Parts: sequence; structure tokens; C-alpha cells
Amino acid sequence: MSRVLVAGGGHLGLQAAQRLSADGNDVTIVELSAARASELRHAGIRVLRGDAAVAATLEAAGALRADVLLACTGADEENLLISFVAKRHFAIGRVVSLVNRAENAWLFDQSWGVDAAVSPMAALLAMIEQESAP
Amino acid sequence: MQVIIMGCGRSGSSLASRLEAEGDSVTLLDPDERAEDRLPAGCKGRFIHGSGTSRPMLESAGIAHAEAFVALSPSDSANIVATRTARDHYRVPRVIGRLFDPARAPIYAELGIATVSAVQTNVNRVHHLLHHRGLEPEQTFGNGETMLVRSFIPDYLGGRRVAELNVAGEIQVVEITRAGYSSVPEGNSALQPGDFVSFAVASGSLGRLRSFLDREWR
Repeated sequence: MSRVLVAGGGHLGLQAAQRLSADGNDVTIVELSAARASELRHAGIRVLRGDAAVAATLEAAGALRADVLLACTGADEENLLISFVAKRHFAIGRVVSLVNRAENAWLFDQSWGVDAAVSPMAALLAMIEQESAP
Repeated sequence: MQVIIMGCGRSGSSLASRLEAEGDSVTLLDPDERAEDRLPAGCKGRFIHGSGTSRPMLESAGIAHAEAFVALSPSDSANIVATRTARDHYRVPRVIGRLFDPARAPIYAELGIATVSAVQTNVNRVHHLLHHRGLEPEQTFGNGETMLVRSFIPDYLGGRRVAELNVAGEIQVVEITRAGYSSVPEGNSALQPGDFVSFAVASGSLGRLRSFLDREWR
């Protein structure tokens, strides 16, 4: 079992949280919007409302004991700052970040504390290239 | 100086036209192409429609040779990411970022990036206008925590020593102009009515200075 923080409770964050909980992990979502936070609570997920790029919020969400942080807000710059704070302040072992816009992929590296960056667009294009290969 | 400004809003466009007028060479980056309309007619600054975190856009803006990068977009996080990238990746020697949310200030501080905080400055300024009418700061420092205030010395303070006006950590006499000549005073220098004195004052102590100076003045 891992302790997982999910920063950003959009569609992707919620699905990741549900899947990770179902697999037996201890999951907390950090969500900025109060309205969205209460929706997530109704979906049965543990939620902390706050700005995940602020160290005090991450700490309240359990960052000192977390094994994994998933940064999946809809803004790439936010994901970078959240990753940076997670790694720099809390030395979270595995920091995984979503890349929303392919043009920003080059920024996602260790200097921002990102261990792994996931770009749905890049994955999609790779699939298409594989399919169309002779 | 070659300057790149990210964000062509009110601040970005007016900074650009001022720098251009002073002979600097400015390139503006904004993801909204209509933002170019904010540039005053006659401003020679170059406008690029694009994001300040996109590598091709930054490079076509000439970031490899830029001497300064200023991030004035409406997003704090975009400003932080762009200024750090400009400094650490492209070695731009001077980078400045705008900050709205004071809760983000520690990240900028940790990264060692200079910030301007319009919110903090506005709050300090409005607070000042509400409470300290009459003593106008000539200059403010940092986010307005310290200010330089100048005032004539009223008659009833004539003969008092400079040291009597200094309050450790709050008020400091830094200069006296007397009959057109300015000097840096010693603590035991005597004040004369009509001296024009510059004080460095902590913003919270302006009321105290005013009460020193205002007694028979208003």
C-alpha cells in the first residue's frame, strides 16, 4: 500500500484517485475549488481543499508521509510548482506530473522535482505512429 | 538593453513603451493575439503571439541574447516557471516576475527571483492614503514596508537633537537640507525650524512620525 497525494481533482485526478484507492492505496486529493471539493467528497474520496503549490497545504494533506504525488491540474505551470514543492519541501519519493500541452513537455524535469512526466498527447501520437508503421 | 516581456496587458504594454522610448529594445510575448492592440501607436516593440513557456517562442523572441526577462502575465505560476526557465536555462542575467497571491511569495524567494507584488503595493498604498494624509512618501522600498518621507521641521521642534527624532527600527533621520545645502546629520546635530528633513520610516510607524511633526502644523 502506498500513500498517494493527487493534486488537482479534475476528471483525470478523480479517476486516478478512484483507481488507486480500489487497488488498496491510501489516497488524498488536494483540490482548489470548494465546489469541486464537495463533489469529490460525495464521490467518497478524501479531499483537502486548498492550493497544492503552497507547502502548508501539502503538509496538511499528509505530504510528510506520502510515497507518491501525482500533479494533474489542468495548468502545466501549476503542476511544475506543485512538483517542486513536493520534492523540495517533502522529498516525496515519486513525483509524477501530467503534461497538458505538448509544447511544455521540455520543462518537466528534475529541476522542478518531476520524476516522471506523462503527456497524453505524446502517448496518443506514439500510438498513431505505431499503427501507421508498415 | 534587450528586454523580453511576457504578458502584454496594461503593465506589460506600458513598460514596453517606456523602455522603447528610453532606447531599449523590447520583445513582447502574449498568447492572446489581440493583446498587441494594447501597445500604443508608435511603440516600436516587437510583438510575438505565443506562450512564454514555449521553447520555440522564447527562442524566436531572442532569449539567447536577452539581457532581461520580465514576466507580467496574469498567472503567478506561469510567471514563476517562465522567470526561472529564463534565468536557469537561458542564463538571462536579470529576471523579474509579478506576483499576485502573497501565498506564492515563498516559492519566488526560494528560487531567488526578484518579484513585484502589485497587490501588496496597492494595499500598502491605499492603507497609507487612508491613514496618513499629508506625509507623502517620496520613495518606497521592497513592497512598501519602508519609505522615504520628507518634511519641513516645525517651529516647536527647533533646537531638538536629531537623535531625539530617531526611533530604533522605526524612524531614522537620513538627511537634512538647510538653506539649499544637504548633509547627513550626526545624532547630536541640532534641528532648525525650516530644515527640510528626509526620514526613512517603517510603514507602520508613519503615524508616529506624523504625530511628532503635526502637532501645530495642520
